[in-house]
Amino acid sequence: METGKSKIGILQSIRKRKTLFPAFAGMTDCTFSDQSSPAELAEIFKKNLQAAGADIVELKTDAVEEYIASTLNVALDFRQPEIIAEYPADCPLSKLNKIEQAIVQGNFGVAENGAIWVEEKDIPHRIIPFITQHLILLLDARMLVATMQNAYQRICLNETGFGVFISGPSKTADIEQSLVYGAHGAKELTVLVNG
Amino acid sequence: MTPHAYKAKQFLSNEPRADWHDQTLWLVRQKRDRMAAAVPEWENLRKQASLIKENVLSQLDVFLEQFETEAVKNGVTVLWAKDAAEFNRIILDIIQKHQAKNIVKSKSMLTEECGLNDFLHSRGIEVVDTDLGERIIQFRGETPSHIVLPAIHLKKEEIGETFHEKLGTEKGASDPTYLTRAARQHLREKFLAADMALTGVNFAVAETGSVVVCTNEGNADMGVHAAPVQVHCMGIEKIVPKQEHLGIFTRLLARNATGQAVTTYTSHYRKPKPGGAMYIVIVDNGRSEYLGNPKYMHSLKCIRCGGCMNTCPVYRRSGGHSYGYVIPGPIGSILAPQKNQRKYADLPFASSLCGSCSNVCPVEINIHEQLYDWRQDLTRQKRTSFVKRFSMKAAGFFLSGNARYNFVGQIARWAIRYLPHCLLYLPINAWGRERELPSAPKLSFKQWHGKRVKN
Repeated sequence: METGKSKIGILQSIRKRKTLFPAFAGMTDCTFSDQSSPAELAEIFKKNLQAAGADIVELKTDAVEEYIASTLNVALDFRQPEIIAEYPADCPLSKLNKIEQAIVQGNFGVAENGAIWVEEKDIPHRIIPFITQHLILLLDARMLVATMQNAYQRICLNETGFGVFISGPSKTADIEQSLVYGAHGAKELTVLVNG
Repeated sequence: MTPHAYKAKQFLSNEPRADWHDQTLWLVRQKRDRMAAAVPEWENLRKQASLIKENVLSQLDVFLEQFETEAVKNGVTVLWAKDAAEFNRIILDIIQKHQAKNIVKSKSMLTEECGLNDFLHSRGIEVVDTDLGERIIQFRGETPSHIVLPAIHLKKEEIGETFHEKLGTEKGASDPTYLTRAARQHLREKFLAADMALTGVNFAVAETGSVVVCTNEGNADMGVHAAPVQVHCMGIEKIVPKQEHLGIFTRLLARNATGQAVTTYTSHYRKPKPGGAMYIVIVDNGRSEYLGNPKYMHSLKCIRCGGCMNTCPVYRRSGGHSYGYVIPGPIGSILAPQKNQRKYADLPFASSLCGSCSNVCPVEINIHEQLYDWRQDLTRQKRTSFVKRFSMKAAGFFLSGNARYNFVGQIARWAIRYLPHCLLYLPINAWGRERELPSAPKLSFKQWHGKRVKN
């Protein structure tokens, strides 16, 4: 595939025509974040995540494992080394497609939209949060930021091959604008907020 | 009648559907307003987004090279295409190199612009569109009528009929949940069998070499992570310089597009999966030509949210297909003539110039001003009809002189009062086709006012 010539052509075409604009000076103030206390952020996060169609379960940190053992006993817990070993990166899709419930560690949440940041270091195969029928994300209650602008200050894209913000279960409104959960990804999202 | 007016008339012949289309898109616009109002710094964000894009466009060569360098470091193969033909050939080459048979594609307006599906179809290769709306219109052999809501022109009964035919759903069934479940099952099979996944790109980050794709359905991720080969297709203008700039654009995009706080999935692809291959194809296809044009270059800031369509009084009442270009609505009407002035000369006239598009644009593109500029340029280059040019010239002549204006006003008032209906509504009077002319007063405003002052 010889596209070197096209690259040079495109860049020349750009150089010939580009007009100089002043460089972008800086970020806008995240006023939202400045005004909200941690308790307020938690409330805003909860409200927005529910609006996105997710269920939230608030637990004390020491009650999490008990809750998982009693309520989510068929879920695959992707924090456990033996589960990780069972679903490696070269795991056949037919096996991954049978996952009903998957528990995945979330890194932090964004209050303004209920999104939770998930990185590939926490999942042995990148497709797991999408292919599972029901996704359960764990989140430390203290790990909240106000806006997406704060969120991108916290993550480092250069340290992960794949990362995703997830806000709610998969959804579509392509048929007459009727909202339906479970288009292609997980049909349900439960967030276990602990602490 | 111009092609847009003709097709708009066809769309409007089904009145209940046209009303539904109008009202549904207006609801989306209202949702967008509520979302925007809930962010106190909204207007500031629009300003910042616009400035970032202006900076990108003014240094586009530098950022593209930086992006390529970083992407290559990440193990990605970067390919460049100057036009649609080269883009299509590159995709075909990748397919052949990996001997891919089952190809899935999530939404990409760029591949629509380049006619990729048809090109591959003519070579015996089928691409499965995996966005639900796109799959529906692919089944029906149609094109998207909206860039974010591709099947917004269809009613659920029609979709039910299509699914009955193609997926064997029950005849007459039109429940959206039932139909969505059927599509989920059908497309799961396609994902599991995929050996290559194509996606569009919402943002490409120069400093990290990552591409960002936003979906609600999760179809981009299902394809990309299932298939051993992932190919991301982007126009040259998709660059943002830094990771931190994504914070501004992801706050704007979904709020402005569908009135959601964010899309369900905002995915950042940087490295190929273990054992997989990752390609990024960077496409110009006429974009760089408009960089040097101060009037039209700002159209390259567009992030394809579709907000201008939802608000446009003409789009809502004429439907996306009436525009005849891959991107409809206000933004499409300024992009289309960049591609082909002759073919799309009528589109800048398919607007009321009310300016609502510019007011909702998340990157502050002056869409309605560009529509006005295009009207002038296209008329100067004689791309508009003779009747239009002649009547505009005549209007200019009569409106620019005091005596001429008074005279022609008198004639017009007389004509409207005394000429027979059939003469007044000759086919040349396009305005009178759907409307009654106003009743003519005896005196002009000037005469009336003059009299008043005297008394």
